[in-house]
Amino acid sequence: MDKATLFQEISHALVEFEVEKVAELAEETIQQNIPAYETITEGLVTGMKEVSRLYEEEEYFLPEVLMCSDAFNAGLDVVNPHLDKNSLEKPIKIVIGVVEGDTHDIGKNLVRILSGASGFEVYDLGRDVPLNQFIDKAEEVESDMICMSTLMTTTMDGMKTVIDRLKERNLRDKYKVLIGGGPISQTFCDKIGADLYANDASSAVRKAKELMGRA
Amino acid sequence: MDEKVRLLTALKGDRVDRPPVICPGGMMSACVTEISDQVGGGHHSGSQAMVSAAQKINELTGFENYGVPFCLTSEVETLGASVNIGDNFIEPRVTRYNDDPLETIMENYSQADVTSGRMGVILEAIRQLRNDKIPVIGNVSGHISTASSVIDPLEMFKMLRRDPERAASFLTFINDYLVKYALEMVKAGADVISISDPTATGEILGPRNFQKFALPYYHKIINALHTEGIPVILHICGNATNLIGSLNEVNANAVSFDSIVNMKNAREGLKTGLMGNVSTQLLHTGEQAKIVSITRNALQSEVDIVAPACGLSMATSISNLKAMTDYVKEGPYN
Repeated sequence: MDKATLFQEISHALVEFEVEKVAELAEETIQQNIPAYETITEGLVTGMKEVSRLYEEEEYFLPEVLMCSDAFNAGLDVVNPHLDKNSLEKPIKIVIGVVEGDTHDIGKNLVRILSGASGFEVYDLGRDVPLNQFIDKAEEVESDMICMSTLMTTTMDGMKTVIDRLKERNLRDKYKVLIGGGPISQTFCDKIGADLYANDASSAVRKAKELMGRA
Repeated sequence: MDEKVRLLTALKGDRVDRPPVICPGGMMSACVTEISDQVGGGHHSGSQAMVSAAQKINELTGFENYGVPFCLTSEVETLGASVNIGDNFIEPRVTRYNDDPLETIMENYSQADVTSGRMGVILEAIRQLRNDKIPVIGNVSGHISTASSVIDPLEMFKMLRRDPERAASFLTFINDYLVKYALEMVKAGADVISISDPTATGEILGPRNFQKFALPYYHKIINALHTEGIPVILHICGNATNLIGSLNEVNANAVSFDSIVNMKNAREGLKTGLMGNVSTQLLHTGEQAKIVSITRNALQSEVDIVAPACGLSMATSISNLKAMTDYVKEGPYN
């Protein structure tokens, strides 16, 4: 199989969530001495882009996206050890979590998966995350963005608190703040002074890249 | 017409003097901070506090029912998950899933006692709340939400595609457990059972999975309750517009929708009772005039029961809720 066909097959198998096949094909790229970087960007990431498209078009739903993500990770596990780190551009670093009081993390996990698949360096704080932890972690890992999600109106004010605390600590300009989740809207985003609102995981990744000038 | 007769009549689909205005409890709980502060806490784990909170909600907000519990987590501890019980500001939430293989869970808990632990507390509260005038609503989480609180939801969602038979057997196990619990609520004196299944939206599962893994199970639990003569409310979160037609199949007495669903459309598509759908965000942060106007819209869309659209923020004020219930009680009826 030539390189282009191999990438196509990887992408196709990923979209069909054939975990083992993706791993086998990734193995073959290694045997053919194809640079891992190319396999990732032209095979695996291309596949995940197609998955994002299918998700946006409501062809795929959460169960399918999760299985594709497993296939993506299976391929990544194979090629990652062979990756020439110098070939990578500096990734966008994000800190992500569901704000304190809320444990609904499906949307957040989708953003983690899709942003990871787009080459972001993702620090996932999980769910029910104490508000200061968003800032502390961002400082620790020198993140570019802080991403917060909540499904509940109860806990959405926590997002404002994080932004207020960033201001208090004179850190507001250091980080872009991305928010999302069921009750969140552009209006709320403007009101609390966040940088970006996205209404689904796929557009969150796209908009984050645009905001960071990486589109 | 007293409150109990009105709600039961509306759920039967018969004529009432005006629609009831309720907040069933469970996920859609009106136990906001202002109420729980008066109770002094403990309303998620003690019968006395639970009864007192349910009574205060009825008395202070004007919702025409008693409804317990005030969360979606009471079913899962008995199946091996852990819950943080929360406080007056934050609702209870699952903190750790049961990591055992499904087969082990199903075997270990095949005889799970649905009258033990917090479920027992809730049953006792229902016994104390039962009365002639105010309807008592027992709230049960739907099988998808319960299953995805007992085990890691991401694993469960993948299983729907990867191993649908295994998923179905686990969901059947969970649903049977919920049926048993709901029937205990009926024995304790619940007049109505309300089922909320926020994880089972068409947006999360997709319409095909909703058809396959949600609808038949609702049908089963609703049938079991109908055999006992108990009406059932089913709440579906999120944009359920595409599911309205298929929801007729489950035979609920009323289906409740989120604020994103256009109730005039829903009214046209739905053969059963319709409940809803005053925006909870509006109830939390909106002006009272706007709350009244949205409540009027719901009435004009011919909902059979007026209710909040989804789970209320605990920071919602009693006076905002009162604006909604007062309007329904006094509103323009000819």
